[in-house]
Amino acid sequence: MSISELEHLVGCITCHAWNGDKTKVAISPNNTQVNIYGKSGSSWALEHVLNEHDQVVTSIDWAPKTNRIVSSSQDRNAYVWTLQDGQWKPVLVILRINRAATHVRWSPNENKFAVATGAKCVSVCYFDKENDWWASKHIKKHRSTVTKVDWHPNNVLLATGSTDFKARVVGAWLKEDGKPPASVFGEKIAFGDAVLEMDAGGWVHAVKWSPSGNQVAYASHDSSISFANVSSLPPTIQKINLKGLPLRDLLFLSESSLVGVGDDCNPFLFSRDDNGTWTFVSEMDKKAEGGPAASESSSARKMFESKVNLGTESASDTKLTTQHQNSITSIAPVVVAGGVVSDFSTTGLDGNLIVWHTKALEAKFKNLKIK
Amino acid sequence: MAAPSAPAGAGKQRAYLSCIRATITAAMCLENFGSQLVERHNKPEVETKQSKELLLNPLIVSRNKEKVLVEASINSLRISVAIKKSDDIEVVLAKRFMRFLTQRAENFVILRRKPVEGYDISFLVTNAHTERMYKHKLVDFIIQFMEDIDKEISDIRLTVNARARVVAQEYLKEFA
Repeated sequence: MSISELEHLVGCITCHAWNGDKTKVAISPNNTQVNIYGKSGSSWALEHVLNEHDQVVTSIDWAPKTNRIVSSSQDRNAYVWTLQDGQWKPVLVILRINRAATHVRWSPNENKFAVATGAKCVSVCYFDKENDWWASKHIKKHRSTVTKVDWHPNNVLLATGSTDFKARVVGAWLKEDGKPPASVFGEKIAFGDAVLEMDAGGWVHAVKWSPSGNQVAYASHDSSISFANVSSLPPTIQKINLKGLPLRDLLFLSESSLVGVGDDCNPFLFSRDDNGTWTFVSEMDKKAEGGPAASESSSARKMFESKVNLGTESASDTKLTTQHQNSITSIAPVVVAGGVVSDFSTTGLDGNLIVWHTKALEAKFKNLKIK
Repeated sequence: MAAPSAPAGAGKQRAYLSCIRATITAAMCLENFGSQLVERHNKPEVETKQSKELLLNPLIVSRNKEKVLVEASINSLRISVAIKKSDDIEVVLAKRFMRFLTQRAENFVILRRKPVEGYDISFLVTNAHTERMYKHKLVDFIIQFMEDIDKEISDIRLTVNARARVVAQEYLKEFA
């Protein structure tokens, strides 16, 4: 079985989202549209183009159960798209923001969604049946642009990351949710209350809750990733400094495994041992350990080839050794079995959509174990 | 590995350039960022400098008289180079050469038309550039540019001096 499948869809992909049964993927090709591709056989065909935004679409999320797509854009709008008669129809969301919308996520119960904005607030939107539109409430605790949001599995808590160097956990309970579930942060958390504020060494690029909601991980621009264990307060925060460039998005494969992707164009695997300590395990996009003799002769050959063809002295390649040729900006689960993600997809600024198979990775590289 | 006959300065030059390369590679992690101050606008934050939290600390890498200033922000990066000028002729040559290049800034894409105060030439790299082009090739281009400028200017100075000598000789033959 192959480790990964690569598909070059467009020149540059900003974000992507899968539908419920993972047969279709919605991407933003770094412009004002949302493209929906469906898999026909072994190739991807463009099925729908959703055209409503005026500026670049920054984020897309596809609710698996209710089959609705929400898209946000730098034109300070968000639209909820529903499939009617084979066409996707947009409904404007009244966000009431006056700056760009940067990130959007459906809540686990899909009755509301959160939009991170450049207006230093998070807009939590719910469907108002009286007026037949999506209304919003603002969470104003941030001092700069909010870059990412992620919902806790209990549908009430929200983790946010911002360019004011902080990751926060805020309460986002609305009347529409019914009785608020109790959590470690208290019985009843007021809407917009910041129950936790964690410092990061730079702009926070990604926040993610673990599947159980006991841990929250956030990655910041100082090339570090921090894991906060919130099963008991005060939370214990563990920070890992990476040797390379910052991470842009995170995905928990299970409670003890996490994949981070970023400007190194390589998915990184982190693993938690039985004491609860996280460590960096390995990068996932590497060539198998082939013979060094083969690489020596091929690099000499490449040097002479480049001298003849391009007139350059060095043997350096234009292409990177990783499968992604530019930063990876988005990661999403594809196959989830028993709470453990076994396949995930990544998209990046190079326009590639790559689906990775962890079982094949584990088989090929002995030290890569997903717990 | 460097050949044993290479001059001693070559190793220091390489260390200087590899330091600059590492700095620029780290600073080139840019993302699309809508303006926080004006709605629906998207500006390079390193040029507007309005939101202090979006700017990174500026860094100067310098070696004797030549230095490189790297200013980065969340969606843009500005690299300014001050060329080493050992005598008056090089001052004039550097100024003319840089003017020649900056007048053709469109062809270079990432070149800034006016250098930053105190430097000879500046580059502005935005997230639009890193989305369209390979980041490692952009870094290669800038490092190569810096190497080539030094070589070009010293070549031009040699040819200017040689020409001056020839012209003076021919002129003074009259009076010999």
